[in-house]
Amino acid sequence: MAIATELPAEAAQPRRSLVSARTAVGVAAVALFLAAWQIVGANEIVRSDLISYPSEVAQTLIQMAASGELGANAIVSLQEFLQGFIPAILIGVAAGTAFGLSARLHALFEPLIVMLNTSPIIAFVPVVVVWFGVGTQSKAIMVFLAAVIPIVINTVTGITEVHESWVRACRAFGAKQPQVIAKAILPGALPAVMVGIRLSVGRAVVGLIAAEMYVSVRGIGRLIQVYSTSDRAAEIFVLVTVVSSFGFLMVTLLRRIETWLAPWSLER
Amino acid sequence: MSEIEIAPAAVAQAHASAPGRERLVLGLIGTLAFLVIWEAAARLDLINPVVVSNPSRIAEAFVAQLQSGAIFADLRVSLIEFAVGFALSLAVGIGLGIAMGLNRLTEYAIDPFVWFLYSSPLIAFYPLIVVWLGFGFTTVVAVTFLLSFVSVVVNTVAGVQSVDPQLVRAVRAFGGSRLDVIRKVILPAAVPMIIAGMRIGLGRALHGVVLGEMFSSNAGLGYRITFYAAHLRTADVFVPLVILVVIGLVINQLGNMLEARLQAWRGV
Amino acid sequence: MGRLVLERLSLSYAARSGAFLALSNLDFAVEDGEFVTIVGPSGCGKSTLLMLIAALLSPTSGTVRLDGRPVTAPGPDRALVFQDFALLPWRTVLANVELGLELKGVPISERGAIARRHIAMVGLAAFERSYPHQLSGGMRQRVGIARALAVEPQVLLMDEPFGALDAQIRQVMGSELLKIWERGRKTILFVTHDIDEAIYLADRIVVMSASPGRVIADIKVTLPRPRPLEIRNDPVFTAYRQRIWDLLAEQVLASNTWEQPAVAARA
Repeated sequence: MAIATELPAEAAQPRRSLVSARTAVGVAAVALFLAAWQIVGANEIVRSDLISYPSEVAQTLIQMAASGELGANAIVSLQEFLQGFIPAILIGVAAGTAFGLSARLHALFEPLIVMLNTSPIIAFVPVVVVWFGVGTQSKAIMVFLAAVIPIVINTVTGITEVHESWVRACRAFGAKQPQVIAKAILPGALPAVMVGIRLSVGRAVVGLIAAEMYVSVRGIGRLIQVYSTSDRAAEIFVLVTVVSSFGFLMVTLLRRIETWLAPWSLER
Repeated sequence: MSEIEIAPAAVAQAHASAPGRERLVLGLIGTLAFLVIWEAAARLDLINPVVVSNPSRIAEAFVAQLQSGAIFADLRVSLIEFAVGFALSLAVGIGLGIAMGLNRLTEYAIDPFVWFLYSSPLIAFYPLIVVWLGFGFTTVVAVTFLLSFVSVVVNTVAGVQSVDPQLVRAVRAFGGSRLDVIRKVILPAAVPMIIAGMRIGLGRALHGVVLGEMFSSNAGLGYRITFYAAHLRTADVFVPLVILVVIGLVINQLGNMLEARLQAWRGV
Repeated sequence: MGRLVLERLSLSYAARSGAFLALSNLDFAVEDGEFVTIVGPSGCGKSTLLMLIAALLSPTSGTVRLDGRPVTAPGPDRALVFQDFALLPWRTVLANVELGLELKGVPISERGAIARRHIAMVGLAAFERSYPHQLSGGMRQRVGIARALAVEPQVLLMDEPFGALDAQIRQVMGSELLKIWERGRKTILFVTHDIDEAIYLADRIVVMSASPGRVIADIKVTLPRPRPLEIRNDPVFTAYRQRIWDLLAEQVLASNTWEQPAVAARA
């Protein structure tokens, strides 16, 4: 049991094995957990409608997918998500760029940005629903509100913290301000913009689910709300898996895009 | 699913070009303009004042609620839930984080679970907690704990592992025992990241309180928002909402100050 | 065509502790085709001087003239090579070298050929489509040099261009630079804190004082060209080194107690 007080050099030499210690222990721990869960749940050592067990969850997942329950609601949620997320990217990047280039403009909107950034965004759900109705529009608006703020903030940072040496290089060769913006500042800010978009996914999903839980006819959030009032642990775990997977997939996809768009930024 | 969230303070520092006072003034102008436009739109019936409400009505509602004093009971409940949930998340989060940081086996075993929680929108776990703990105070505290605890653990582990091996070497060279290394080098070195984790945890704890209260409680500011919204008393909805926004701002400011103090003390 | 004259050039700017005089009454001329190196202790303002000549900064008083005309704005007639290379990381080597040409207004159809020619000149033809993060430090600086030469400047301004490279590479790059220079004989102003490098490269060495920067010596280097790397062991070379070292030692000791504020590049 190596303690982290050992220095890297004095620690166990990395054995060229196929599987690292970290993976092995991790996999073992998860396997152990799943096994314990299965035994406890399937044998009703604890009420299975409260905690379920892995095989039941898997079964239920298949059931829910086959019956279309999962599919229909997932599509609605996805639609609402995109209806809010894509405008958030477009408007967020545009606004962030404007604020990054004009400190004065930024100052005008700063209170609004700070307020939306530090408040629990969920608290706005009822107001948004009252204003925009119980349909998909209010969900999209929540997604937008939740996502636009990290995007704006990170875009501003990206624009204002562009490496001075790039700006200087362009200036030295005679570039005027619009050229400096086009050739140095905007491309230089791209990695930060991508990070902002990636960070906003989590908040956006929370906003979406919260709005759907609050009131909706269809959507994953509604399913979550329905099952939370009935002791259907299996269904709930299925939904947990679905929501987590969606978040994970989105973030992975965005990371890939980040790497593809701006491989040079990884060096820094 | 949030990683290193950009704190509003970092954004503020990026604009060294706009002098502080000017920023304040512009910020006030921006906010006032927004309120004036809103009020005017309501007066001119461009928006439905009953549904959308407007600043003057909200101000009246504020006065009424403060006078009746009912809102203070809700505030008390929310603050207590917040404090208990957050304190628990610190105790468990820092403790677990240190154990994981110091002991590689523990880290490898628990990491997959932490990572899963870290990258999932934790709102999906909400129904589970309701199934297990029902409605009320305990559930809200549990949700608060869960949302905050993950950030605290992740940052604590990172902090403990961030220690400079040279410093460990130095203490060992002077004859220090393992315990000495932990007490004199590792824990102090981990403090900045632990504090960062606390900061993020604070924000997430507030989210947790609101989430819990909105959906599974009958007291607290979050609940009060849904209560007024259900009665379509839009102006009244804004009172607990604004209070929550202010709490969010205050927490953020406290977090900034705490970090600034820490920086000054460490001379970094 | 590349005659540079500096007259009573001074720069002071506002720092936290009041007005800071960075350069004081600098007066010297660089003839067409001369390779002049500038040495001085840290913080003496040698980089600031280059920024003034490049017109990225404006002097508080005095003038900079190129071929008789005063210098007012940055442009392709004075091209800069930076210590931190300043390449745009998202552009290929080819696109980076084309940057100056774009800004100069060279038509798109001609840019590629010009850029390629200069990339070949610095020996990086095979890396045209590589990105800066895939290249070593020395290679990146060669791109920087190609970029500067591509705009066919009258004067090449080099701000500690090899400062970020390790000692061996630095010497090799110096020798490569001389080979490139000998083909075109551009006017070069080369700032460095490395005395050996200054002597090895130069026709003339301008020695600057500690802040506020002034010229304290202007030394003609009579070593023959072409100069092999071993010339550094030649007794004449050593004599120059000793002389400059003595001049600088005084300056370094004198300025040792002061913290030099960082120069803000305002354009």
